[in-house]
Amino acid sequence: MQKVRQSVDLELPVNKDSAEYAARILRDVNEIVDLNTGKSGRLIRVLQQSQQRVGYLPPEVLTAISQVMKVPISEVNGVVSFYNFFTIVPRGKHVLQVCLGTACYVRGGQRILDVLKKEYHLEPGDTTPDGILSLDTVRCLGACALAPVVTLNGQVHRRVKPTAVKELVSRCK
Amino acid sequence: MNKINTLQDLEEIKKRVRPLLAVREDTNFARFKEARQIDVLVCRGTGCTAAGADEVEDAFREAIKRRGLEKRVRVNVTKIGCRGFCEKGPNVTITPGDILYTRVRRADVDEIVEKHLVRGEIVERLVYVDPISNKPAPANKDIEFYKRQRRIVLFLNGLIDPWSIEEYMAFDGYRAFIKALTSMKPDDVVEEVLKSGLRGRGGAGFPTGRKWGMVRSAQGNEKFVVCNGDEGDPGAFMNRSVLEGNPHTLIEGMLIGAFAIGNVRQGYAYVRAEYPLAIETLNHAIKQAREYGLLGQNILGTGFSFDLDIFPGAGAFVCGEETALLISIEGKRGNPRQRPPFPANKGLFDKPTTLNNVETWSIVPQIVLKGADWYKGIGVGGNAGTKTFCLVGKITNSGIAEVPVGTPLGHVVFDIGGGPPKGKSFKSVQIGGPSGGVIPIEHINTPVDYESVTSLGAIMGSGGLIVMDEDSCMVDMAKFFLQFTKDESCGKCLPCRAGIPKMLEILNKITQGHGTMEDLDVLQELAEMVGSASLCGLGQTAPNPVLSTIRHFRAEYESHIIDKKCPAAVCAGLFRAPCQHTCPVGLDVPGYVSFIKDGRFDEAYRLIRQRMPFPSVCGRVCNHPCEGKCRRGQMDDPVAIRHLKRFAADWAAEKGFEYTPKVNGKRNESVAIVGAGPAGLSAAQDLAMDGYQVTVFEALPVAGGMLAVGIPEYRLPNEMLNAEVSAIEKLGVDIRLNTRIHDVDALFAQGYKAVFLALGAHLGERMRVPGEDVKGVYDAVEFLRNVNLGREVEMGKKVAVIGGGNTATDSARVALRMGASQVDMFYRREKKDMPAIEEEIVAVEEEGIHIHELTAPTRVLSQEGKVTGLELVRMELGEFDKSGRKTPRQIKGSEYSVACDTVIQAIGQRPDTGFTEKYGIKIGMGRTISADRRTLATDRPGVFAGGDAVTGPWTVIEAIAAGQRAASSIKRYLQGQELGPRVDREDQETFLIPRPEDVEDVKERPRVTISELHPGKRASSFKEVNMGYTAQEAMSEASRCLRCDAEAGGE
Repeated sequence: MQKVRQSVDLELPVNKDSAEYAARILRDVNEIVDLNTGKSGRLIRVLQQSQQRVGYLPPEVLTAISQVMKVPISEVNGVVSFYNFFTIVPRGKHVLQVCLGTACYVRGGQRILDVLKKEYHLEPGDTTPDGILSLDTVRCLGACALAPVVTLNGQVHRRVKPTAVKELVSRCK
Repeated sequence: MNKINTLQDLEEIKKRVRPLLAVREDTNFARFKEARQIDVLVCRGTGCTAAGADEVEDAFREAIKRRGLEKRVRVNVTKIGCRGFCEKGPNVTITPGDILYTRVRRADVDEIVEKHLVRGEIVERLVYVDPISNKPAPANKDIEFYKRQRRIVLFLNGLIDPWSIEEYMAFDGYRAFIKALTSMKPDDVVEEVLKSGLRGRGGAGFPTGRKWGMVRSAQGNEKFVVCNGDEGDPGAFMNRSVLEGNPHTLIEGMLIGAFAIGNVRQGYAYVRAEYPLAIETLNHAIKQAREYGLLGQNILGTGFSFDLDIFPGAGAFVCGEETALLISIEGKRGNPRQRPPFPANKGLFDKPTTLNNVETWSIVPQIVLKGADWYKGIGVGGNAGTKTFCLVGKITNSGIAEVPVGTPLGHVVFDIGGGPPKGKSFKSVQIGGPSGGVIPIEHINTPVDYESVTSLGAIMGSGGLIVMDEDSCMVDMAKFFLQFTKDESCGKCLPCRAGIPKMLEILNKITQGHGTMEDLDVLQELAEMVGSASLCGLGQTAPNPVLSTIRHFRAEYESHIIDKKCPAAVCAGLFRAPCQHTCPVGLDVPGYVSFIKDGRFDEAYRLIRQRMPFPSVCGRVCNHPCEGKCRRGQMDDPVAIRHLKRFAADWAAEKGFEYTPKVNGKRNESVAIVGAGPAGLSAAQDLAMDGYQVTVFEALPVAGGMLAVGIPEYRLPNEMLNAEVSAIEKLGVDIRLNTRIHDVDALFAQGYKAVFLALGAHLGERMRVPGEDVKGVYDAVEFLRNVNLGREVEMGKKVAVIGGGNTATDSARVALRMGASQVDMFYRREKKDMPAIEEEIVAVEEEGIHIHELTAPTRVLSQEGKVTGLELVRMELGEFDKSGRKTPRQIKGSEYSVACDTVIQAIGQRPDTGFTEKYGIKIGMGRTISADRRTLATDRPGVFAGGDAVTGPWTVIEAIAAGQRAASSIKRYLQGQELGPRVDREDQETFLIPRPEDVEDVKERPRVTISELHPGKRASSFKEVNMGYTAQEAMSEASRCLRCDAEAGGE
């Protein structure tokens, strides 16, 4: 995968209605589309890289992709809604993923989710109202020997007990 | 530039690099001190990296530098790929010597560098210790996990640096490709692969050579090769380990494929997005291959051109299906499509396409290099080669194992995987992920090959083996997989889109306790429909987990539906707390534990006592199934529930606190109970409480059954038992001792309206070996009975006990107390397979009794009619039996003898049921009475049976539960109601259970140990060994309870 620079759009106080914002999105999308010229499955690659840059896929980005690639917006949306990897809502500052692969499930992954629900009223897909933490589930990271695992911002935590997950959440500020 | 132009170029790289790597293959630790080169191999697979291998690697580099080691010897710290022993990661191997350090932390590194690298000594505390033999196995080659494996796909994993193409070349990498390209015809390559018998390792097992041949002969001058690395099956990560540990072998395999198939200029590797490290590693490898001229235009000047690109998946399980995967590479929604046309004719961009998975492509170079016959020689007929498996779930050695196809499942699960951890019993293994099915313990000897696995309703799949133990619920697992396939269904076809959610709905209903038997039929019907009518593999196989769990675990579904019980205590909708749910009599464990915590001992006692009459007995000798399911056990140790119960009972006894249950009214019907053991007396109490006239007939001179004459005084003082028996008598129960019943008709003639047969199992089995009918040979049941009744028993000095159950351990410990100077136990299997409860085995050894494993008696030696010794034969373990233990068999010629003057045979017991058949009561296996499992009704109306007489020797708590079930059935029978599963009594006092305090900061804390009589003092008396908790200890232990009942929303 082509490495693309990570920007922090979300934290910038941007006026989403401004022409400047739209222009920037268009410029970024153009750049990403160019990077993938001649490659198979360009749409998915462009979406992946756009999400990596923006953090999620807001309507502005999807529209820009549709325009630049000359692909109907319905097709773009169709692909976005099909794959779990894509998100059209902004994620929290920290993302906690609970693995619900079979091995993690068998070794207590569900109980971690139960604790998060009970203690923080967080369900998979939710983000805390303050935008600090998003909770997701993931189906197998292939770290089954360390089950149950959760990842916090991509960092794997192994053999997580329900009490330990509270420790992790408390770190998110 | 290192461009490879000829085979010669490759040879030169090998010649230059291989000597530098020789040290990695040197397993002789003796050579370490003189070594001029030391390699520190740090596993950097995802598993080890997630466990902190990155920090460990850095720490090694720093420490080596700080220590200035490089001045003296060449030290390399190398990243290596996954070796599969993920459970113990981060793993670090140091060569020469092949020494493996497991679970290495950053803080350990200085010690390893100082002690091992500098002084040449092994750091004992970090080496792997075999959990069974308890012996350290410092070298990789000594570890059982690896011994039974045959690693060919994973051969270079852990040996080479996956980031170095030259290290791959040092082990003949790319040689096969160059051989094919320069000296073979494409057709010959296809033929070789066909002849090797290689079958697609993605799951379906289609012959790879045939697939290649089809694409080769397909019309078109533009074709593709694609690698399926969308390892979406949760719990499977063997492909990733190849991608991360040896990526060049995949590239080489695809190159060979492209050459053999012809007209292929572009290949794609579809790798799932969840594997960033695999993508990065493969990317790097592709770049290197291009630099070396092995990918790109006009390779080696032959005119052959081929390039490879990675397509990162975007998270859709269905994209593992071939048509969906190919459409996804085109950048579209990954909806599968109807086949034919097959991808071989119309695949990627509608061109002929060969799609194989990572493992399949990766083995191709070795087949080309070593020949089809070599590959065919591994595995079993029709199933050539090896298969990599991921061992995960409830298994000691999680990780990746590669074995010849056709290896029995038991060898993979037990010999390599080490079986379930914490001594839990194996239940089944899910093979093939969400598309596969379960293989239960009865089929543990099944050879793992495509056909055998399919015949059991599972599929080989990509090789995920998820091991489940007694704590896994099969209904819940089916639900889990269905939830998964529901989430992943693309929604294109109706059966899958609508059928799976409907099935899930039914499963939810069942796990919530609202299921009916009709639901089960509908579920099965739906499953068959979805399987046959769905468009693609996802829908067609989605019902497999449901169908296979119904097929192999129907009884478990029925438990959920009829008894509203989840035997594994998983389905939380069915219970308040797992301990209570698991207790056969349903004792309110969280309730009495929390009363004890608050010092409200009288309420604790009453809460126990109102539910069953033997708190004192169970507090001492119960096998405590509740503790096995205690959630606290997942954190540190389970709460000592049994000890707490005993504390409450002892407290009540000491305070003279009596509890007499209420008798509700008076009924005229009388009931006869045969046998005054725990089953009979429990039934008697319940029936008496309902006002019936109960007479208990007991053949022995004492009441209590096995509690009185089987369990020795030092475990259960008679005084305790007698107090509990007399409390039952106070309810008006008439216990007639010394009265043996042989005539069921006579009981009815005397006016009894119903009969409960609770005879127990008091006949000992014989060894059936020559010479056993001499003086000094006892049957354990009889022996224990005579001792307990105070009858004269002649006891020698050297005692041999045969057997491994609780009767055997009891006999051995009693013999010691009767004055034997030496007691030995002989057991035909291994100690870990002994059926006796663990505490007893520990106690036996503490008291100086020696347990001899894997040995069985063949003859009793005697002189003048008196025992003088025992001839035994050594046993070895063969195939697995249905209980998941290996069957012992005699080793011919290994007979030996030991001297002894007393032999106690404790090898089994059965009920004395000779008289029942003529009264229309059927007898089943092992001479037990046949009775309905739920209602305990026998074939003769009005006659019920339960306890050991029905089950064969089992536990006290199950006998008590059986008594209560019998009472419930008898009551319904006498009142003319339909029989059914037991319902709870309605006359129970309600207690206000204390609310749990906020369990915010639960700290790990082991259970409070209980005081015991010093082993040295035990042999001289029958004094109780276990001394019980003090009030303080009990309150402290009780506070460890996590109060799962409150989490379930209770008060």
